Amino acid sequence: MLQQLANGVFAGSIYALFAIGFTLVFGVLRHLNLAHPAVFTAGAFVGIEVAARTAIPVWILLPVVALFGALAGVLVERIAFRPLRGRDDEHFAGLISSVALGGIVIALLQARYGTEPQSFAMDYFPDRLFEVAGVRVTLTQLVTLGLALVLMVGLAWLVSATPLGRSMRAVAENPTAAKVLGVNVGRVTAGTYALSSALGTVAGALLALNLGQAGRDLGASIELVGFAVIILGGLGSLWGAMAAGVVLGIAEALTIHLFDSTWKSMVAFALLFAVLVLRPRGLFGHVKVREV
Amino acid sequence: MSEPILEVEDLRVAYGRVQAVRGVSFTVPEGGLVALVGANGAGKSSVLAAVSGLMRPAGGRVRFDGEDVTRRPAHRRIAAGLVLVPEGRQILGTLTVAENLALGAHRRRRQAAPESEMYDLFPVLAERRALPAGSLSGGEQQMLAIARAMIARPRVVLLDEPSMGLAPKMVDEVFAVIEKIRASGVTVVLVEQNARRALRAADTGHVLETGEIAHSGPASELLQDPRVVKAYLGVE
Repeated sequence: MLQQLANGVFAGSIYALFAIGFTLVFGVLRHLNLAHPAVFTAGAFVGIEVAARTAIPVWILLPVVALFGALAGVLVERIAFRPLRGRDDEHFAGLISSVALGGIVIALLQARYGTEPQSFAMDYFPDRLFEVAGVRVTLTQLVTLGLALVLMVGLAWLVSATPLGRSMRAVAENPTAAKVLGVNVGRVTAGTYALSSALGTVAGALLALNLGQAGRDLGASIELVGFAVIILGGLGSLWGAMAAGVVLGIAEALTIHLFDSTWKSMVAFALLFAVLVLRPRGLFGHVKVREV
Repeated sequence: MSEPILEVEDLRVAYGRVQAVRGVSFTVPEGGLVALVGANGAGKSSVLAAVSGLMRPAGGRVRFDGEDVTRRPAHRRIAAGLVLVPEGRQILGTLTVAENLALGAHRRRRQAAPESEMYDLFPVLAERRALPAGSLSGGEQQMLAIARAMIARPRVVLLDEPSMGLAPKMVDEVFAVIEKIRASGVTVVLVEQNARRALRAADTGHVLETGEIAHSGPASELLQDPRVVKAYLGVE
């Protein structure tokens, strides 16, 4: 039981990392970036390749992956969203074009890495097994959880206490007012995508590290659960995504414990459905008080 | 008079196929107060949107302090000291009063006034500095919008309908603040539907009609001009 709870928390921390990147872009820019799962997958493959080529340790590898992610994020915005800016259907069109871009990214990954899953070398990150109060945890899991916490708290700090964060909140609330105040909206947009995709690629690399390998469907496997997390937490809510990630991870783990793993996805989507019907703004989302 | 600090030349603004501003030209001397008046939809706000950089004009030129700024993004015009107080206030309701002010100052950190100076000028904001700006009354929000522009110590401030939707007593307060601003030597361009109040405060006035300047002159003369009185001032 305790073991299942722990597993749930570890899985949930990856869900949360995936979800906060996605929800950040929505919260600030009202973009639904459906290329996010593909970027997540790309992060895993890039991590594996860089690790194989350079043998750099994991605490250098992850920043390298994040840097790649930041660049990828800026490109996603330039390619899938910016050309559509100012159109009446810009949000819907962006959603569709980001689906297309995500497909292109997956195809490029297949062209480069083939259809077989890629693996980390067996001895890349020698795993150790700890046992705390009868619960077995691996070093990789601990690193994942610790890093997820650090990144989430770091992002929350960045949004609430730095000039970039203040500009992001200004754009989120009222892009026109932000522009009037001299916020460089183009730069804030790029920065938001860079952060979002950096988090997404690191989440992808961490999941691959936990699994030891990554296939093209890595992003697809987490995509729907990730979106359930985002809705559960309230679209655009950072704390909501973090909490909902862990809640969903635990819910899945308990389902496996009480029934069996075939019921796992059902719980995620039953929760999603219940939230949409009973509390559409999400568990932590709040109704916005908007200026007229 | 010295070189004008702001020159608008043959400005054209279009929304799709609709031409909102059709070749407007005027100049603003340093330290002056110029009023643009006219009916709703005459193009007054569109002129300010183009001058401040919120909108790309369809044609014409905007020169600020001798430099052509027509194609410059809004944030660079603010950095140079050309600051807009937008129509409808556009304060950031979920951010605090203090955060709104900090955003107003962030493009001109070197020139910006200390926050305390704005609180001296607008005491009502001092009491509410830690509150979300959305909790302020309409008049207080207008004061915040003006303070947010003035904290940048602008050289030219563009005021778009500052008295709109305010109670008569607040309108008086807003115009008292405008007097203070021009007394401190800051150049003001004032767009108003309340033509009489605006022309009383201004040195020079321009009356806009369907995107063009119909009448121009010293504000005191426009206040007497029978055509202007009939169309825009009415009987007091």
